[in-house]
Amino acid sequence: MKLAPQSVPYRALQKVSGIVVILFFVVNNNPDWGFAVAAGVAGAVVLAAVGYEVAYYRRFDYELTDDTLDISSGVISRREREIPYRRIQNVDVSRSVIQRAIGVAAVDLETAGGSSTEGSIRFVTPDEATRLQREVQRRKAAGSAGSARAGDEDAGRAGSGAGTGAGVGADRVGPDEEELFAISPGELALVGALSFDGRLIGLLAFLSSGSVPVLSSFIPDASAVALTATAIVGVGGLFLVSWVLGAGVAFTNYYGFRLSRAGDELRYERGLFRRYSGSIPTEKVQALRIADNPAKRALGYASLSIETAGYAPGQGGEQGSQAAVPIATTDRVYRLAREVESFGDPQFNRPPKRIRWRYAFRYAIVVGVLVAIAFGIEWFLGAGLPWYAPAALLLAVPPAAHLKWRHRGYWLGEDHLLTRNGFWSRTVTVVPYYRIQNVIDARTVFQRRWDVATIVADTAGGGSIAGSDAAAVDFATDEAVDLRETLRERLRIAVAEHRDRRDRFEWFDGDAEGADPVDEQTGEADEPTSDTNDGERSDDGGESGESGERDEDRSDTPDDGVIRPDFSGSDRDYSEPAERIDTGDYAVDRNPSDVGGTSESGDGDEDNDSSDDEKAEDADDDEK
Amino acid sequence: MTTQTLHPRVQVVWVLRAVLIAAVVTAPFAGAVYFDRLPEWVPIAVGAVLLSLGVAHALLRYRRWSYEIREDALYLDRGVVTQVRTTVPLVRIQHVDSRRGPVERGVGLASCVVYTAGSRGADVRIPGLTPEGASDLREELKRLAIRADGEDAV
Repeated sequence: MKLAPQSVPYRALQKVSGIVVILFFVVNNNPDWGFAVAAGVAGAVVLAAVGYEVAYYRRFDYELTDDTLDISSGVISRREREIPYRRIQNVDVSRSVIQRAIGVAAVDLETAGGSSTEGSIRFVTPDEATRLQREVQRRKAAGSAGSARAGDEDAGRAGSGAGTGAGVGADRVGPDEEELFAISPGELALVGALSFDGRLIGLLAFLSSGSVPVLSSFIPDASAVALTATAIVGVGGLFLVSWVLGAGVAFTNYYGFRLSRAGDELRYERGLFRRYSGSIPTEKVQALRIADNPAKRALGYASLSIETAGYAPGQGGEQGSQAAVPIATTDRVYRLAREVESFGDPQFNRPPKRIRWRYAFRYAIVVGVLVAIAFGIEWFLGAGLPWYAPAALLLAVPPAAHLKWRHRGYWLGEDHLLTRNGFWSRTVTVVPYYRIQNVIDARTVFQRRWDVATIVADTAGGGSIAGSDAAAVDFATDEAVDLRETLRERLRIAVAEHRDRRDRFEWFDGDAEGADPVDEQTGEADEPTSDTNDGERSDDGGESGESGERDEDRSDTPDDGVIRPDFSGSDRDYSEPAERIDTGDYAVDRNPSDVGGTSESGDGDEDNDSSDDEKAEDADDDEK
Repeated sequence: MTTQTLHPRVQVVWVLRAVLIAAVVTAPFAGAVYFDRLPEWVPIAVGAVLLSLGVAHALLRYRRWSYEIREDALYLDRGVVTQVRTTVPLVRIQHVDSRRGPVERGVGLASCVVYTAGSRGADVRIPGLTPEGASDLREELKRLAIRADGEDAV
């Protein structure tokens, strides 16, 4: 598949616009060079850029094969990349205002590895972007239906999702979308109101600090009162502007936010000027985070973010949770979170009450340090100030310690670990046992004195980098050790369940006749299953003569009421027996529908021809 | 497998490191003495305190360090100031390295690094192994990880 032709001029202009602006300034500063020279240089640069982009366009090719997405790209140094569908974490589509005007969209595919976006397709038409998104999901669902999620509800849901997928999948539409969340105008206004961009204040304060001496020289005879008033108004104005800007950014970012579920996948959409849309497979969700603060709690609101392993640490915090629900009423947030991970009704265990003393001591020490600093300043200046004033904060220590204790906790659900931490920004983290990568039990010197420990359940989620792991902090040592061992045990069980489910699915797949499930299953459970998830290969593994009946069975619910997932990893037609072709090196099965594939390989030849032309152009480029 | 401790010679590596850190931190003080800014005893005291703390930490660290391979997980117990006990389920092991740094080569030791997909405890390093011990541990962990037959869940 090729990129959209419009992308050539767009990419070219995107690349050289900076150079053109620099040239403009150069011409302005050196009038004697004349406009003609500048125009000539700019024209040459644009031509070179267009030439390069044409080559890029001709060279860039992507293809959806049976189990990988192949991207070949690069003008001077070439790259062929194959991304297995089941390794894809997220598929994101974004369109800025200009991109929307000329009808192109950028597609980004993320996998868990690597430090940057693994598959970046710039640019295709919006329809093609949507098709790619849907197609990747469909092929992935077909390829990895065997490795369904842990938990009974999840299994049921996955089954029904795959069932609808099989039913509708024939006409390449995919499962129906079910809307989970759409932001209401009131919530959007609230998001805007609560967004305050502090960066601007910092910038303006930095700039104005330099300009104060300059300004004060302009107003030498102004009274101190007037100056103070101006300063207050100025600072007030600064805050107002920051707030309006922050609100504007949040408003444009989250305008029209909606989250929906389609089969085994979550889809989101948002943005006023730059539209973002993307998909997150539910089986790739690593953790959920529900955050609130005292203001939000008082009003009954919270926010939710969904974590995957797709975004690398260096890619910025904003991107890490593309599908974050910025704000919604608390019960709505929990309902939504349970749609994604059904974790039941949490009853948090709090740390032992004695730990409040630890927090009280800690805060008292902070207050003591403040008093000492105040005393030092007073001693240094000798101004007779009440240096003991910060000691009044001691009154706030007991409630602060109590609140800190009150908002900590953990809960062991049936399939999930929930932890809760923080008063000012309280975060509830939901981690499925199956997603735990390792368990860390840490005790500092001070924690040992109180006989408590912290247990961290580490996942592959991107947010953990920011230090917001699922941590049960300050629990009695024996309770913490129990928790650590419980987590290890539950992980083991969850992995065993997954493997069991995977093997069972493989068995259904391998033997379509399905004479006696129980015996066969136990018989095959111990077999090595290294290639179970390779949908296409396991389809070939089945006897091709029976595959026709299997296809018919799949399209609607069987009599026994068991909905079997759709295993067809490809669009192959299995209605007739495959023909064995000897290629010389090895024998392959060729199905009737594959015969069309030879004409495709003919296309491939043409591509090869054209790429030869490109090689020539590349040579030209290199000479330049 | 019972609880394993590290090779005693790893203390040499850690003590050397403590000496190096003490030297680096003491150097500015010594410089200040050279320019007559500080009395002579300051760098000596700083150096002595840092050195004794560093050496004590290194020795305690060796005594605290232990690891164990159990049925389904690798356990590590370490840390002097903050005691850390890490449980690495064998099903979650991504790959295992054995490696030898220049200092380790000097004292004839090696270490083994276990990688998981986790973001925080992504790599767990077991220092103070003999070169054969490190490759044996690597092979053993590889074998156990393959037998555990897990998916990485990412």
